Amino acid sequence: MNDEEDLAVLRTRDFWSAIALLLGSIFFLWKTSSIPLFGENRAGVSGADWYNSAALVPLGIFGGMFILAACLLIISIRAGGASTALSKVGIGWSGPEALRFTTIIVVLAGYIIGLVPRVDFILCSALLITALIFGYRGGHAPRMVLAAISVSIPACFAFFVNLPREKWNATNDDWLTLAVWAVFTLFVLTQSKNDRTTKLIPVLSVLAPTILVCAMAFGFRQNVPNRGGLIFSQIEYQYYVTIKPLWSR
Amino acid sequence: MDFIFMQLAGFGGAMVDLVVDPLTYVYLISSVFLGIAFGALPGLTATLAVTILTGFFSNKIPLDYSLIALLGAYVGAIYGGSYPSILLNIPGTAASAATAMDGYPLAKAGRGGEALGLTTTASFIGTVIGTFALLIFVWVLLLVSKNIASPEKALLALFGILLSGTLMSEDLVIKGWIAGLVGLAMAMVGLDPLLSEPRYTFGWSYLMSGFQVVPVLMGAFAVPQIIEGLRHVQAGQLTEFSDRIIPRMSAIKKYLPTIGRSGLIGTGVGALPGVGEDVAGWVSYGVGKTVSKNGKKFGKGSLEGLLSSETANNACIGGALIPLLVLGIPGSPPAAALMGAFKINNVIPGPTIDPEIILRVVAILVLASLTMFIMGLFTARIFIKILRIPQTVFLPIVMVLTTIGSFSVGGGINDLYLMLGVGFVAYFMNLLKYPIAPLVIGVILGGLFDETFRRSLLISDGDMSVFISRPGAAILVTLNVALILSQLPATKRTFKWMKGRLV
Repeated sequence: MNDEEDLAVLRTRDFWSAIALLLGSIFFLWKTSSIPLFGENRAGVSGADWYNSAALVPLGIFGGMFILAACLLIISIRAGGASTALSKVGIGWSGPEALRFTTIIVVLAGYIIGLVPRVDFILCSALLITALIFGYRGGHAPRMVLAAISVSIPACFAFFVNLPREKWNATNDDWLTLAVWAVFTLFVLTQSKNDRTTKLIPVLSVLAPTILVCAMAFGFRQNVPNRGGLIFSQIEYQYYVTIKPLWSR
Repeated sequence: MDFIFMQLAGFGGAMVDLVVDPLTYVYLISSVFLGIAFGALPGLTATLAVTILTGFFSNKIPLDYSLIALLGAYVGAIYGGSYPSILLNIPGTAASAATAMDGYPLAKAGRGGEALGLTTTASFIGTVIGTFALLIFVWVLLLVSKNIASPEKALLALFGILLSGTLMSEDLVIKGWIAGLVGLAMAMVGLDPLLSEPRYTFGWSYLMSGFQVVPVLMGAFAVPQIIEGLRHVQAGQLTEFSDRIIPRMSAIKKYLPTIGRSGLIGTGVGALPGVGEDVAGWVSYGVGKTVSKNGKKFGKGSLEGLLSSETANNACIGGALIPLLVLGIPGSPPAAALMGAFKINNVIPGPTIDPEIILRVVAILVLASLTMFIMGLFTARIFIKILRIPQTVFLPIVMVLTTIGSFSVGGGINDLYLMLGVGFVAYFMNLLKYPIAPLVIGVILGGLFDETFRRSLLISDGDMSVFISRPGAAILVTLNVALILSQLPATKRTFKWMKGRLV
């Protein structure tokens, strides 16, 4: 694309972002209206004056955002953003790029929302690292889809089967993640006969999160996600029962 | 003159304290190494290095050590960006974009070693210039800042957000301002600071305490970088070189005026709130091209051009810490991450900051730049090897680092959801060419702005003249208004017309 085309795409995107910002600022202006501005009574207690109201600054912020979004909308319409707003070219996102982005979103959302709260951190991070390195090296679309599927299967299982917080310590999702990671890793290794980097994936995927989580838990003595996870609980047990007494005596 | 000696004496004391502590070296060497590695890897930035280390160190070790780790990584990463710029023609960080203009042609001409050696020396001298400016000017500003009350603080915060929005916008200035407003809006979430009125919590108790700084920083800087970087990139051809890296004294002497000038420019640009090392590098490069006798050679492998940008981006570090430490307004995106670390440690940067902390920061910066200098000259070949690691290999590990770092600061899964949400928003903002720095600065300064703006009105019983009746506030109001007016099309047209008439 040349500069003119890039600018046309940008103005089309500006058109949509200006509309989103306008709607957002209207919504939040409406939400702000529920915060007392002129010293209304709350539960029989008189509120503050207008100049001290909690609504004052937000009103200025969302009012300002509304005005700036309107200006942006005018700029984009003048530059032809509205006329190309619904065309594929206008939005400027190609199919492969949309696939790449969507699969990354699935992987990251599956990892953060489904896996990290419920599955052993070492296991889910190993799966994430394997999926991302294998999926996005070389830019092969089928690999990206495979990466997204491999993360989303245990993520969906963990999310739907162990949704409430009291079930987060269950280990059924840990076993499933381990199985998916093992199968996926074997598949990766069969695909990497001549690729040194891909051969390193299994080592890297286990070593990196193990070092990190141990440093955080035992070095910095910080909380780490899912302490009761399949592998970490064993490491923690061995650390306190077998290793730490060596220098604590 | 007395105050300079007083500052130097204080600096000497802080330096001795650091030098005699063996743990200083552990943190210093590891953080500078990590910083250079981060800077050298295209796709990782100085801001990301400081942000990730904020998650790791800020609340887990004493403040002194966490400052060593964060400042060491900051100094190292800004310098490290020069490696891929020179050897691959890919800027490792935005701050090194101007470096590639002359660095790569030099490397192609077989002078890569010379370019790296002089860059290392210039970065070291640049950091020291910025650091000593911090030592001297901070004291003067601290005197002035004693007269800073709520109206000035509110206007300064607003000025920082507006200026950052204006100068960091790649496309329309309006987008920078919108980004700043989005940041301010995010800072409004939670209980308001004066009346404890809940705002935009949607009944979710987690939001009562507002958005936490570290997940926002991680989301804004790390997640978009990971999404953007996970794509197939043809590995750049590393330019081989056989000349020596350690520079000759005669070359350093020859380019000392350029280094000195660029150091001062970098410090000055860094002192502007919200303006980062990339702007410093380009401004210095532009000035160098204009004033140099060999300006025409810039962009074709000029050592002067290379040193103009590289000295300035490192000098910017000291400059960026001036508004952070004195006014509580971050001078650059990595400084915003540093501010997050200060806040986590219950240190409020600004007029009330303990001057001892400033002296320690200066001493740490000098030690960090010295470590960077030694590592740059004697272990450069290790960092060159790091350049060969593809970004699809290290970015997944960065994601794991970001996750555990973000989780450990607040200790809650909700912080991770926040990080992911902010990350997706920031990715789309990048795509739409909205700058991220004003958003982060808005989040950090939003609470301060809200509190001091309303406190000013409370003191004056709602009289808006409180913002113009005090000299400092009047100047700041003028600056804010002038900044907004200067960006209006009508004003621009008027200036153009006046310029035409004058010509």
